[in-house]
Amino acid sequence: MSKEAQMRATINQKLIEMGERERLKELLRAKLIECGWKDQLKAHCKDVIREKGLEHVTVEDLVAEITPKGRALVPDSVKKELLQRIKTFLAQHATL
Amino acid sequence: MKMEEMSLSGLDNSKLEAMAHEIYTDLIDDACLGLCFEVHRAVKCGYFLLDETDPESMKDFEIVDQPGVDIFGQVYNQWKNKECVCPNCNRSIAASRFAPHLEKCLGMGRNSSRIANRRIASRNNMNKSESDQEDNDDINDNDWSYGSEKKAKKRKSDKVFLHSLKQPGFVNPNSPRRSKSIKHKNGELSSGSSDPYKYTYNSGINYETLGPEELRSLLMTQCGVISEHTKKMCTRSLRCPQHTDEQRRTVRVFLLGPSASLPEPETSVENDSYDPSENQALMSRLQWDGSSDISPSDSASSKASTNNSESKKTKKKKPHLGLNSGSGSSQQGLGGSSSKKKKPKLLAPPTPSIYNNIN
Repeated sequence: MSKEAQMRATINQKLIEMGERERLKELLRAKLIECGWKDQLKAHCKDVIREKGLEHVTVEDLVAEITPKGRALVPDSVKKELLQRIKTFLAQHATL
Repeated sequence: MKMEEMSLSGLDNSKLEAMAHEIYTDLIDDACLGLCFEVHRAVKCGYFLLDETDPESMKDFEIVDQPGVDIFGQVYNQWKNKECVCPNCNRSIAASRFAPHLEKCLGMGRNSSRIANRRIASRNNMNKSESDQEDNDDINDNDWSYGSEKKAKKRKSDKVFLHSLKQPGFVNPNSPRRSKSIKHKNGELSSGSSDPYKYTYNSGINYETLGPEELRSLLMTQCGVISEHTKKMCTRSLRCPQHTDEQRRTVRVFLLGPSASLPEPETSVENDSYDPSENQALMSRLQWDGSSDISPSDSASSKASTNNSESKKTKKKKPHLGLNSGSGSSQQGLGGSSSKKKKPKLLAPPTPSIYNNIN
C-alpha cells in the first residue's frame, strides 16, 4: 500500500515537474468557461451570498457550498477528455 | 527504484483508473477553489453585484424583435433616402454619396490631389510645344528609366503621369512635326483613344476608330502591330522588340492598303533631315562598327575618327538628345537602317551621347 502511495507521489511529482499539471489545469479552466460551468456556479454563489449576507460571507462558506456543486456540474465531455489525457500521461510515464 | 517501476507497470487497470480519477478530482477542486477566491474578493471589494440591474431598466434594453427594426429598435433605412445640402456647392446630394462628394468638393482627401495633378498635367501636355512630343515618343521607347528622369525634373506629377504617357493616352504622329493638322489630330487622337486617367496596362489603340490619315501618321511613329488577343495596335516604338518588322509591314499593308508607304525603308519620303546619300554613308559606317570590335588595333583609330565625325554631325542636328532620343532620332535619320539590320547596333551615335550625359 505504501508502495502505491509512493507511486502516486512519484507520478504527481512527475506531473508537476514536466509542466503537465499546469497544462491540464489551463485546459480544464478553458473548457469549463466555454461550457458555461463558471457562470452557473457564479449564479449559485450569488444565492449563497444573498443567503449568508453580503458582509459576512467567508471563503470557507463559499468553498463548502460551491465545491460539491461544482463537481457535480462538470459536463461529461469535459470529464472524459481530462481523464483521457491523464491516463495517457500515466501510460507514458508509469513505465519510466 | 526499479522495483517500484516494475510494480507500477504491473498495476491493475483499476488502480490506474483510480489514480487518474484522483488526479482529476484534484484538478476540479483547484478550479472550484479558484472561483471561490475570485468571488470572495469581488464581494469584499464591492464589485460583485455591479452587473445587476433593476427590472425597470432591464425593460428599457430588452431585445426588440419587430420586423423592419433592428434589435435596438432603430429603423434601418431611415437615412438612406434623405438628401443633404452640401455646404460648399449648395447642391443636394444623396446621403450615401455625401462623404465622397465632400471629399472632391472641398479638395481634401486622398484622391482629390491625385486627380487634380493629373488634370493639370494633361492640360500642360496638350498645350505644350511639339518639342515635348518628341520626348513623349522617347518615353514610349524601351529605355524607360532615362526618359522618366528627364521628365521628373520638368514636371510635378512625374511617375503617375508618365504611366499614362507610356500607354496610348498620348499618341504623337511625329514625323511631319510642324503641321497644324497634326496638332488637330493629336487632340482628336488623345480624346479618341483610351482615357489617360485610366492607365491600364493592356490598353492599346483600336484601329477601327481611326481614319486613314490618322492611321498613317500613327504608323509612322508606332509599332502598330495588332495584337490577336485585344485587337489593338501596339503603341511601342518602331523598334519594339515584341514584334518583328514583318509584322509591322503586314499591319501597314493591312491598314493602309498594299500601296502603303512603310516607315522603315531607307528612302523614306518624309524624312526632312537627312539625305539618302548620308543614309548610305551612315549605313556603311554602321557595318564597320560591327567589325570594329573584331579588329580594334588597325582600323579602330581611323574608324573611331570617322565615327566621331559622324556622331558630331548627328549631334549638331539634334542638340538636345539624351540617350534614347539619340537612338530614336538616329533611327529616323538613318532611314531605319537599324530596324532593317538589327545586328549592327548603333554604336557610333549613341556612345558619345552616353558620355555627354555622364559629363
